[in-house]
Amino acid sequence: MYSAGTTMTDGDYDYLIKLLALGDSGVGKTTFLYRYTDNKFNPKFITTVGIDFREKRVVYTANSPNGTTGKTFKVHLQLWDTAGQERFRSLTTAFFRDAMGFLLMFDLTSQQSFLNVRNWMSQLQANAYCENPDIVLVGNKADLADQREVQEKQAKELADKYGIPYFETSAATGAEVDKSVITLLDLVMKRMEQCVDKPTADGHNGEGTSKLDAAPAHEKKCAC
Amino acid sequence: MDLSLLKALEREKVLEVLHRDKILRSMEEDRIRRLKVELQDLRRRGAKSISRQYGERTCARCQKPLGRFWNTGAVCLGCSHRICGRCRVFLTRRFWRCTVCHAYREVKVKSGEWFLEERGKKFPHETAQHETIGEKLLKSHQRLGNISIVPPTPPPFQDVAKLSFSRSGNFTSSPLTKSMEDLVMSFNSHIRRISKSQSDLRADLLTVNYDRTISMSKSQSDTAISTAFILNKGPSLSNIFKKFKEWEQQTSKSLSSGALTDRDTSLSSGETRGSNSSIETDADSSGNPSVTGEIEIALAYSFNTSCLEILISACKNIMFGGFKQRKCHPYVKVYLLPDKSSGSKLKTTTKKNTTDPVFKETLQYSVERHLLASRTLHVSVWHSETLKRKFFIGEVLIPLEGWRFEDSSTKSPAWYPLQPKSDGGAVDQVVGLLLVKVKFSNPKHTSDSCSVSHEAGQLTVLVTGVQNMTGSKSGAAFVKGSLTLPGGQILSQRSPVVKKKSNLKWALQLVFSKVTLHELKESVLHLDLWDQATFSLSERLLGTARLQGAPSWQALQQMPSVWHSFSLALCTSINTRKP
Ligand SMILES: Nc1nc2c(ncn2[C@@H]2O[C@H](COP(=O)(O)OP(=O)(O)O)[C@@H](O)[C@H]2O)c(=O)[nH]1
Ligand SMILES: [Mg+2]
Ligand SMILES: [Zn+2]
Ligand SMILES: [Zn+2]
Repeated sequence: MYSAGTTMTDGDYDYLIKLLALGDSGVGKTTFLYRYTDNKFNPKFITTVGIDFREKRVVYTANSPNGTTGKTFKVHLQLWDTAGQERFRSLTTAFFRDAMGFLLMFDLTSQQSFLNVRNWMSQLQANAYCENPDIVLVGNKADLADQREVQEKQAKELADKYGIPYFETSAATGAEVDKSVITLLDLVMKRMEQCVDKPTADGHNGEGTSKLDAAPAHEKKCAC
Repeated sequence: MDLSLLKALEREKVLEVLHRDKILRSMEEDRIRRLKVELQDLRRRGAKSISRQYGERTCARCQKPLGRFWNTGAVCLGCSHRICGRCRVFLTRRFWRCTVCHAYREVKVKSGEWFLEERGKKFPHETAQHETIGEKLLKSHQRLGNISIVPPTPPPFQDVAKLSFSRSGNFTSSPLTKSMEDLVMSFNSHIRRISKSQSDLRADLLTVNYDRTISMSKSQSDTAISTAFILNKGPSLSNIFKKFKEWEQQTSKSLSSGALTDRDTSLSSGETRGSNSSIETDADSSGNPSVTGEIEIALAYSFNTSCLEILISACKNIMFGGFKQRKCHPYVKVYLLPDKSSGSKLKTTTKKNTTDPVFKETLQYSVERHLLASRTLHVSVWHSETLKRKFFIGEVLIPLEGWRFEDSSTKSPAWYPLQPKSDGGAVDQVVGLLLVKVKFSNPKHTSDSCSVSHEAGQLTVLVTGVQNMTGSKSGAAFVKGSLTLPGGQILSQRSPVVKKKSNLKWALQLVFSKVTLHELKESVLHLDLWDQATFSLSERLLGTARLQGAPSWQALQQMPSVWHSFSLALCTSINTRKP
């Protein structure tokens, strides 16, 4: 469905999608993004100063409504990395407003980082572009099984409460990393379509109702 | 570790990221520009070319005739045009749009416009909606760097444009000092917004002097100007948004309904708020020329042909330019709002030398009955001075909601009083303010006695800048001025080109000679601001400002030899250029 692109310096892409990773300091945001873009692991902990971003070009295949695979698009991903430290807070939260989707990360080996997910959620509510943006909850460092402090069930429950997908990833092994980013991208792409194709006041095309009118409501988080 | 050193490093790091972001952003802007160009091309190809044939049943996209019973076409939800089977793009099995609406939708998605719209709903009061936080931070940082090195002295005006003009008392340092204050103020508020609690960062930024910015400022005054220009310059993507707006107006019905409308309102109100007062004062002093006269119109709907029929019967007592002119060549133009595209435009023939023209012409729109409820008929009367120059006489807006076409009594003609140009009609859009100074000089006399009034002299117009300009990102600009004298004679002038980068203070001079003060009272001065884009082949009209009506000229009549300042609303050219 997706594959990495080649050149990144030309404007030969169809969409620029801006995603942002947030969560407490040390949960592995930087490492996670590095794994996703470069497929490498860096065990060193280098504090992110304020903000940073990485880029990746992927090919997105849209599923057409009748289930067959549809057109493919080139997507340029801008993946914003933020510092979790309090002292950069106002700077990083300011960047929330420009992102189309969010990777909310916590550390599976740190109960505290999980407890803080709620705070990050409210930060998002206040600063993101809309009240209910697309978010994926990510529990990272799944490879450190013996140090685990947060149970999958616990995290899953929280994610369900927010109505967002949940993934347990490891930046160290790369497990579920791609999948979580792609899930988020998929949500954003769908949201985009919904925003422009929302039903009209006028109703019908004169040739029966449109299929979008009848789309299940729970799929549409978009306020539009 | 040295704390201050750490902070400087931190700042460097963040700036490095912001610069990388900027590179990506400009790549993105280029891409969006290309998308827009392609869209424009497609749209041009698909536009109904001959408005007279509008009533005929043809596909609005390929112009192929549509049958009554077979291949009848169907109305596109996006644009309400009747579309043949081949010009449809299906998103699902039943859900389709015409090719142009589909392309528009694609651009809206691919350009990220959808995102800005959504965000606009949540933060409707933010200005510069399209600007990313990175962009804002970078700009404010650069501004700061500049401010700390630029002493608040005014730039010599020769620097701005190589033009000879007499320096008058009006060109003291005060305007610039003022603008520098504004600059610092707006910057401060900016920073406050960005970093509420991060006082350390703010302090940092405030004290830093950047080598980069110093080397950038080869002349200090230049820097001051370009710095200030950043504040005034329109949003970098706003050209696109403006085009989008046009588009939106054409396809507003289903593509966005609430969304873009909301955003539009908030955007335009946000952008013009600061300038409203000056527009109003200007309007007060210039006093809209009174609109008189009536127009006789009958409306009918033919259920057989699905056509709205508009009978333009006659006009009486029309005036143009504030006084009844013998040389009035009126014609009537009609739009079916909200569609303001040329496809929606219908015109009568032009009648010669009359203020009571009789037209008796029927104009037709092919449109489904149920769609009329949301439409408004915009009827305007124009004087055709030359092929290029048209003057507004008056207009009527007739909302079709609740119109009982089924009732035959509504078919008889009715007289509608003509109105001044309505803001709500929004055919005309204010895109900024043009700052203008005018004075009248007489080579022989220096006194301001009334006898001067009939002696020929010269009107000097000095365009000193633009304010609150939306759009117009970079490049160069020039002004074309034309002065229409009461007799119908038109004097034209073109200014040199000024770099918009060295903006804020221009000194573009236009001189109209051999005019009398008396004539000026009844003259109309049009100033067209043109954009000379660096890369595009053609010049683009950014907006037209107008000075007309006795009240505007009054001050000049009393004290001709001193500069009189005006801030004139720059309007998009729809009305004046393509009536
Ligand atoms: N074992 C393991 N270590 C990880 C993983 N992800 C990150 N780390 C380590 O956790 C530390 C903090 O990671 P970093 O990405 O800098 O966290 P950030 O502050 O959220 O950006 C680093 O030493 C990483 O090597 C993971 O999935 N597994
Ligand atoms: Mg980090
Ligand atoms: Zn066709
Ligand atoms: Zn259409």
